[in-house]
Amino acid sequence: MIGESLKIIFHFARALALLALTSGGAALLEVNSPRGVDFTLQNSPTSLKYLIETMPGGVALLDYNNDGLLDVFFVNGGRISSPMRLPENFQRHDPRYWNRLFRQNRDGTFTDVTEQAGLANAGDANYGMGVAVGDYDNDGFPDLYVTSYGKNVLYHNNGDGTFTDVTAKAGVAAGGWSVSAGFFDYDNDGKLDLFVTRYMEWDTQHSKDCGGNFHTYCPPGEFPRTTNVLYHNRGDGTFEDVSVRSGIAAKKGHGLGVAFADYDGDGLTDIYVANDGMQQYLFHNNGNGTFTEVGLETGAALNTDGGPLSGMGVVFQDYDNDGRPDVIVTTLPRQTYGVFHNEGGGLFTDRGLQTGVSMLSGVTAGWGVGLEDFDNDGQKDLFVAQGHVLDNVEKIDPSLHYLEPLLLAINHSSRFDSVDPGNPERFAARGTAFGDINNDGWIDAVVTVLGSHPQFLINRGGQSHWLTMTLRGTRSNRDGLGARVQVNGQTRFATTAGSYESANDKRLHFGLGSAKSANVEVVWPSGIHQLLNDVSADQFLEVREPEHP
Amino acid sequence: MIAAQICRRVGRILFVSAAASIFFHPQSGKAQSLSSEATQHWNAAHQAEAARQFDIAVKEYIKVTSLEPAFATGFASLGQAYMEQRDFTSALAPLKHALELDSNLMPAHQLLGYALLAQGYAAEAIPHLERAHEQGALGIAQVETSQLAEAIPNLQAALQKRPNDPDLLYYLGRASGLLSKQSIDTLLAAAPNSARAHQALAENYFVLRQMPEAEKEYKQALDMRPDTPNLHLELGQVFSLTSRWPDAEQQFHQELQLQPGNAEAAYRLGDALLHQGKAHEAHSILERADKLQPQMPETLYALGKAASLDGDEAAAEKSWLALLSIEREGELAAQTHFALAGLYRKQNKSEQAQREMSEFQRLRISVPAGAQTAQ
Repeated sequence: MIGESLKIIFHFARALALLALTSGGAALLEVNSPRGVDFTLQNSPTSLKYLIETMPGGVALLDYNNDGLLDVFFVNGGRISSPMRLPENFQRHDPRYWNRLFRQNRDGTFTDVTEQAGLANAGDANYGMGVAVGDYDNDGFPDLYVTSYGKNVLYHNNGDGTFTDVTAKAGVAAGGWSVSAGFFDYDNDGKLDLFVTRYMEWDTQHSKDCGGNFHTYCPPGEFPRTTNVLYHNRGDGTFEDVSVRSGIAAKKGHGLGVAFADYDGDGLTDIYVANDGMQQYLFHNNGNGTFTEVGLETGAALNTDGGPLSGMGVVFQDYDNDGRPDVIVTTLPRQTYGVFHNEGGGLFTDRGLQTGVSMLSGVTAGWGVGLEDFDNDGQKDLFVAQGHVLDNVEKIDPSLHYLEPLLLAINHSSRFDSVDPGNPERFAARGTAFGDINNDGWIDAVVTVLGSHPQFLINRGGQSHWLTMTLRGTRSNRDGLGARVQVNGQTRFATTAGSYESANDKRLHFGLGSAKSANVEVVWPSGIHQLLNDVSADQFLEVREPEHP
Repeated sequence: MIAAQICRRVGRILFVSAAASIFFHPQSGKAQSLSSEATQHWNAAHQAEAARQFDIAVKEYIKVTSLEPAFATGFASLGQAYMEQRDFTSALAPLKHALELDSNLMPAHQLLGYALLAQGYAAEAIPHLERAHEQGALGIAQVETSQLAEAIPNLQAALQKRPNDPDLLYYLGRASGLLSKQSIDTLLAAAPNSARAHQALAENYFVLRQMPEAEKEYKQALDMRPDTPNLHLELGQVFSLTSRWPDAEQQFHQELQLQPGNAEAAYRLGDALLHQGKAHEAHSILERADKLQPQMPETLYALGKAASLDGDEAAAEKSWLALLSIEREGELAAQTHFALAGLYRKQNKSEQAQREMSEFQRLRISVPAGAQTAQ
């Protein structure tokens, strides 16, 4: 009887909260186009429907100059001529097609520093896709890895505001069609390794369109699968391609998104790859330099009906505060986003129905995705950048739309309820990066839009408390990527990867609700456990890894 | 274009299914009073036909008919030889002449009916096909001449004899569709503002996936006649397809209030509840759907899912096993094996889980890739 009363009170409170968020209260996020950011994602759509046109582009939130302010880096597509002739030239020397780095100033405005940073002209033969951020040489400055159809580029951050293209020396050009990438330390040797997803075996000379008279982009099954790439960091500025030796190359797919976490608690970072139009891959880290793909047997590969997913973006974080990382994969309409709940014991179950995510995603196509605590209540909320892959989908199915709204769904005890995303407009949204852009303790987002300007969604903030941590590895990699951090019963896995083609703020953000202090536990990749008790809320905290266990 | 299609279809019918019954047997049609010279040519023609040398057969039959100008069977055979060469135009004259000589020569009626139909003269073909009691071809000719109500029973009768004939199935489907369209056109012309007219328009919009328009028409129909069976059900499906599950739930619920014995409404209500994660309610309503119409695979699958989410693993297993007892192959069976694998894995029954996964994978391989993914 008491339990029933509590249940009623809970539902009443939840209804009130929803009401405040959806009708009476202002939206959590608001559109804010910061002064100084002038960027258009040039995807250059053509009538020939080259598949690359609909797939860019990434965005990264990083503090490249260590001034404490998040800067933003956008990956651009390139110019596509119709038809494309060999040698392929995407005219990346033209400033319209440059990737762009915008440095944040103290007053919240941004300055375009692309050219002075040495990031102009990404190579005429490269049509840009995504970006990864990580300090691969542990020098304290985040480096950039830009993926492309063509060759990928590793930019070493020189620490003086400039970058140097070190791709050739590092040996990480990959080739083919790379999409998302991420830095992580799979062998816990303190040096960040690099994983790159590749989409398919495709080139402009072997392109085709589909859909008969409708002329649409083709589904991935029309082209051969390809391998993803794993680079091992040797620690001397070079990487070794260990794709074959590690077992990664044994599984060909249509890789788009990638995210990292230790799903089985063995202290080793595992890899989840969102594959388009097929089963998803979960690469279990065997701890000996090899991986085993275990998607099917763990229940993380297919939806609840055994169906394949058109996996695009992916996030690998714990949405229900049970301490285990879960997976959310964004997909095309007529599927629903995959919500693979980590049950423990190495098993996942699709909880799309129970979490309400299925209901929110039946007619939308999702790309960039994040589990972030936007309202600082201690539960991670879901944000998805949406927009169909086909720019003429309405002609084929009028009930679907190319331009779609952003999705912000607030987490109420593992049930996600859609609320006003802060912008009523519809977009062909793609990459999304999350971070606290204005350092107010509330998570913001940046979304890229095909053929248009990016959307900055700034959190209006509120009364709840928060804690944001920067990890400073000593024995582990310098940014502590791969660490498992628990704060007042919440867990985050330190990573900049995830979402789609994008890189997030490396800082770990926790909403604390009404709590004014927190107990923090960090399990470093080195295996060191670190406890911090009664940490004051509402601060940016650097946590340094103890030199000794 | 249409004539070419019919020509192909008729040709196929001639070859595949009807040939043996239509064509003359080499010996049976022989007249007894032929001259010896005509008989020689007659036999040569038959030999050529047997060797599939139809050009030679035509020449020989021409000689027969020139030597025996009153020999109806000779002309019919000449027509048949032309038809075997797919030369329907040339076949017409000798077949018509055969019937002038002997109006009761049934094979000539059959052949002429086919030849005319293949040439696009469906109306002219009909009396000959009627005389020959050739119901399949007659049905096709009637579809082509918009005699839809007459065509359907003829095609159905032909299908009784050849149940999976693709041409007959195609024309039956086409006739039914056209007849349906005729009725709807009449409805819209006669009573454009009636509830049924709005319902008909809504159904058309639904097929075209123009959901806002479909919704509007269904709502107008419901405003006019809220107690019309199936209107809520259909409107609910509009909401389902656009992922508006609470709205769908409401409509299916209303349909079930109107028609408490409607198993489909119960199933769809359960499905809508399931999509919202209302496992317990879904479980209960899907049990009701199963009682209303037992042994429905879709209901059993959804019931298993609802029971599983509701924590009743025994009921889930029971439903899924019941499904597999009636549907062993195909997509739904594959899904069910997958669901059972998940259930057994959760119960630490790894051997059974493995077995179900193997079955799932076996069936998935046999399901065409296009059926598994959608873009």
